[in-house]
Amino acid sequence: MFVPLSALTEHQPRPGHLFPTELGWHVLVADGSRLFRVNEEFRQAWQSAPDERGRHALLKEADIGAAPPIADTPPPLRALSLAVAQKCNLACTYCYAEQGDFGGPPKNMPLEHALRAVDRLFQDARQGESVNLSFLGGEPLLNRPVLQAATRYAAAAALRTGAALSLSITTNGTLVTPDDGAFFEEHGFSVSVSLDGVGDVHDRQRPFRGGDGSYARILQRIEPLLRMQRRMQVSTRLTATPDSTHSVKESIDALIDLGFHSVGVSPMLASPTGHGEMDPAALTRLLDQMKECGRAFEYAVMRGTRYPFLNMMNAMKEIHRGSHRPHPCGAGGSYFGVSADGKLYACHRFVDDPGAEFGSIEDGVDLDRQERWLHDRHVEQQSPCKTCWARYLCGGGCHHEVIRRGRPACDYIRGWLEYCLGAYVRIKTFAPGYFGADTN
Amino acid sequence: MPNLTLDPTNLTAQFQHRGRGNPPSVIPLAAISNCFPGLEFDFRNVWRRVFEGIVLHEASGLVVDVDPGVPAEITALRGNQLISVDGDPMLADVTGPATPGGAVQNFGPDFLEWSNALARILSRAGQSVRCVFQDAQNNSVTSMLKIRPFFHIDELTGNRAPAIHETLASPGELTQSLCSPWQNDYRECACYYWAASRPDYINVQTAGGVTTGHNWMTRDRSPSAPRTYTLNSSLLFTYDELFQNWETLLKFQLDGKDET
Repeated sequence: MFVPLSALTEHQPRPGHLFPTELGWHVLVADGSRLFRVNEEFRQAWQSAPDERGRHALLKEADIGAAPPIADTPPPLRALSLAVAQKCNLACTYCYAEQGDFGGPPKNMPLEHALRAVDRLFQDARQGESVNLSFLGGEPLLNRPVLQAATRYAAAAALRTGAALSLSITTNGTLVTPDDGAFFEEHGFSVSVSLDGVGDVHDRQRPFRGGDGSYARILQRIEPLLRMQRRMQVSTRLTATPDSTHSVKESIDALIDLGFHSVGVSPMLASPTGHGEMDPAALTRLLDQMKECGRAFEYAVMRGTRYPFLNMMNAMKEIHRGSHRPHPCGAGGSYFGVSADGKLYACHRFVDDPGAEFGSIEDGVDLDRQERWLHDRHVEQQSPCKTCWARYLCGGGCHHEVIRRGRPACDYIRGWLEYCLGAYVRIKTFAPGYFGADTN
Repeated sequence: MPNLTLDPTNLTAQFQHRGRGNPPSVIPLAAISNCFPGLEFDFRNVWRRVFEGIVLHEASGLVVDVDPGVPAEITALRGNQLISVDGDPMLADVTGPATPGGAVQNFGPDFLEWSNALARILSRAGQSVRCVFQDAQNNSVTSMLKIRPFFHIDELTGNRAPAIHETLASPGELTQSLCSPWQNDYRECACYYWAASRPDYINVQTAGGVTTGHNWMTRDRSPSAPRTYTLNSSLLFTYDELFQNWETLLKFQLDGKDET
């Protein structure tokens, strides 16, 4: 059979990515997420290599071989999210949970299920190990008694076992009271409030069920918490849709000014109705806005001021330590979402999806299922991930979005990562203290 | 061959970086990590050039060389022993019992480990300190010597980098005093110490339940030589012979016997 050479070349894994910065050419080696500044001879040799095999050989010649392999054994269970309320008082246009109930009847998680989930989480947690318990929904504050009881139960388990418990909640912010704030403060919660922008921008995407905007109400509810932040951290996350991309920078600036601990952005890539999903043009606009925020972040770091743009903070941390992700997140590995009726799912987004069910809090994680999932979802098993230079920084993209819609945002992700790599080189050169004392 | 230079920038790149010409064992993950002097590199060597102008022996403070073009006063230090730096002694008497519970004895002076002995002055890179030497006639000789920087300084930022300053060691020096298994350890360690890949008891013959044969390191293993496993140093190859000519002297073993 005749196979055209170009077809073979197309399927060769890219061993790395060469890119220019103000401080010279750099190469990111995919394996091990290793970043190098390269000289002119290397740049020429890389660019004139006939194919990816040639580049692979070039790295070998420069004594940059494969990084030591990372064990792919399934990690132990260390994080659970509880869908304490599978219902919501908002009617967000794009919600993966289909307005909170995941397409089924609205329900609350019974206390018994929540406590058994905490038992499961601490079952083999040892002293000093980190465990995370998060509350999602729906809107978790619609089931406040169970949220509070499960939190106190988990805090007691942490004391008993010596495990380091972190607590988090994702809320729409409309029902938060000062008492909730005091409770979150007492337990050191990470509180993530979903705000898609300022005023109308938010209201169009996240209205109440009756159609009214929710922004003013949320702000009124959240402002006391922003002032209470000591142990707790109140952050916000924007979901960007084609309608909101033009104002992302403006929104982030405004939300940072309000006093949020950090502000992050995610594009809407897969919604159950298709509503609000990003198209290529919107992703290009978003990338421009993200880079603008990134530059504001760089400027702030170099001046020693604060601009807590979460996407940049995370990217700098991950690039600095060379995070090498065979998967995009812990879903189906160390992390599961617990549904109101006590079943385990790959994550909070997969609640009530039989295709991503992993057992129950009573019976524990279905280990065969987990092994298959981790194998099948591994970035080297995914296409086109396995040939992409960014595969081990990206991890292949959110499982939920990929399974529902595929991978429409690869160019956006690569564009963002290339920008971040350059920003890393600049910050590391001119403000190395950002990465810790004496780092270079 | 092009000169391909890659400067490791992030932590994984630095952690897994192998400088050109270095063996795989320099990567921490591949390291055996014997702490002292180390199997990957001999850390003592980073102190040999800590003072501008002179080169010390890594284990004794003996001045083994001087840099080209130094003044006669520095050249004259060759062969002297460094005994104190800025008032800190480089030697100390070793005292204690020779056996558990035995009487405390003085075993005389021994050289202090560099990392500890020089810790106090290390932060004073670029300054000159008073160094006292002892010459062959036991006379004290004093010289003011400048301390070299320990860490590499990044040119762009002026910050300390996590790398040893290049003036502290020339290429090859960090590994030059490592054990050389073929030449040293193979002679040092015998009597079934080694794994099967290293021949030990060879040319073995069995008669009446008794074996006779040679130590692989025995110089005379001819048929007429007595077949006795010996550790008598005078009957074994010398270290020098092994360094110079191991590939001729040590024979491959075929069916347990020297190749012919």
